[in-house]
Parts: sequence; C-alpha cells; structure tokens
Amino acid sequence: MRIACPFCGERELGEFTYLGDAAPKRPMAFAADGAEQPEAQDLFFDYVYLRDNVAGDMTERWYHGGGCRSWLTVTRNTTTHEIKAVHAAPGAGAQKRTKAGATS
Amino acid sequence: MAEYSWEVRSPLRNAFAPGRLGLASGDAGIALAEISDFSLVQVMARRGQVANVAKAAKKAWGVLPPEKPAAVVGKDATLIWTGPDQFFVLTAGSVPDPVPPLAVIFGGAASLSDQSGGRCLIRLSGSKVREALAKVSSVDLHDTVFPVGAAAATSIDHTGVNLWRGPDAADGHPAYSLLVFTSFADSLWHTLADAAAEYGVEATRTPLS
Ligand SMILES: [Zn+2]
Repeated sequence: MRIACPFCGERELGEFTYLGDAAPKRPMAFAADGAEQPEAQDLFFDYVYLRDNVAGDMTERWYHGGGCRSWLTVTRNTTTHEIKAVHAAPGAGAQKRTKAGATS
Repeated sequence: MAEYSWEVRSPLRNAFAPGRLGLASGDAGIALAEISDFSLVQVMARRGQVANVAKAAKKAWGVLPPEKPAAVVGKDATLIWTGPDQFFVLTAGSVPDPVPPLAVIFGGAASLSDQSGGRCLIRLSGSKVREALAKVSSVDLHDTVFPVGAAAATSIDHTGVNLWRGPDAADGHPAYSLLVFTSFADSLWHTLADAAAEYGVEATRTPLS
C-alpha cells in the first residue's frame, strides 16, 4: 500500500502511522450556558470507545512521521485498500489535497 | 552561572573509519563522507507569516525558500524543505549559537531552533551511488524525477532523514546529502556502508564548504 502525501508525493506505507477513524467529533461536555449536559457521559463513552467497523470507504487519520510529519486525512476502502483521496488534516500547514496516485 | 566548555565530538566517532571499505579492487564506486563544521537551524513560519518568511529569506540569501520538497542554494546558505511552511537553513562553519542572526533576519515571522548538534550530515557520491541508495531508500532517485535540487523528507532503514541532491561532484557523478539525528547516525552509516560495500567505498571526513 502506498499513500500519496499531499506534501511529499507517493510513499510506502512504512513511513506512515495509523491513528484511526477521522469521523468521531469530540462532544460538548457543557451547554453554552455552562450547564452540564445530562447525556455527556454517554456521548463521551461513544466518542472514546465505540468505533464503527466499516466495510468500504472510510475517512481516516494517518501521520507521515517518516517524512514531513504532517497529519493527513485519507479516504480508504477497508476491503480493497484502494485510496481515493488524501488531504492535509486541518491545521497541517497549508491546506492541500491530492487525488490518489498523484505524486505532487 | 556555571561556565561550560563543550567538547565537540563527531556523532560517527564509533562507526567512522577512513579509507577503503568493501570491494578493494578498482575505483571505489561510492565516496561516503561525513560533512562536519556546519550550522543548521530549523525555520518554521508562524501562522499567516509564510509570505513574510519568504521575503526575509530572499533578502538574506537571494533565494526564496522551497515551497515543495527541494533544496535551494542561496548566497552563503542552502535552504532545505522539511515540511509544509518549514525548512532548514544550512551554512558552513560551526558557531556557538546560529539562531540570533536568523532571528534578526526573520524578525518574529518564524520560529527558529538550532539543530546543528542534533543532526549528522552525510554525503554520498560516485558512479554507483544510485545503485547503493536504491537498496535502502524507497524514493525514486532517477534523474528525471530527482534532479539536482530535489529533496525528500523520508525514511531510510526506518530512520527519518532529510535527503537532497546537491550539485554534481567534480567527477560528474551525482551527489546526495542527508541529515539524520545524531543518535541514529552510527546505525545509518553502517547501513549505507553495507549497501555500498559491493561497489567499493572510500570514506572521508570533510568540513562543509
Ligand atoms: Zn509527507
């Protein structure tokens, strides 16, 4: 498997590490007025522990630690390993996106 | 405040042996050199300051910093891409603190960190250099995709390196430089020497010029 880093170009899997599903969003523990959300415990349990077991396209976070040290968002098919898109994760330098297989 | 007197030692003091290694007959296919006496500073543009960093670099060294993996040779410095909005400034000569002059150049537009003692600089050239590097690097080093001035932040033997192709050597063969963390330098040197051994290696140590 190869990943086309939007900054470095196409590189072997060994240069990257896998974080996991990019979908979970940190829930709010408190409402806007500062009141504790009654369902916060359940939401945090879900956010921290529960993961979908996707068969098909999944958006994931990968880290190019063996290269430019950027966090990436990768759309990967979990059954075929086909990578459909790679782009810089929010905050990783300038926003950049490559199509799978692009080398720059 | 205590006074310190630092002893400068090569990170390759255990691995380095000058002279011929591997194949002993004929011309050495690889020149493997530790390059000493350099200053290296990491420059990272602060948020929204990329254009100001580029302008400052252009004024100081006459060249724009690389926006893609590349090494740009300017007046008195080489600027090597290390990641988005960041690069190394490599200069000849070892100084106690290379950061203050750069702080003047960038005037707060960039975060600076001295890496001079944190990295080891190794240069490989010779008629068989690409064959030897191909064994340990997954980056395509063919002339058409990795010409003079190309650079890559990549891994060799599971070790992160900054690799770039400088001007060709005097004998016309390509020359590649790489920066590696000092604590991994011994190990990487052995890996490179092993990969190059079948072509014959001439190991030297020379200051950056
Ligand atoms: Zn990268």
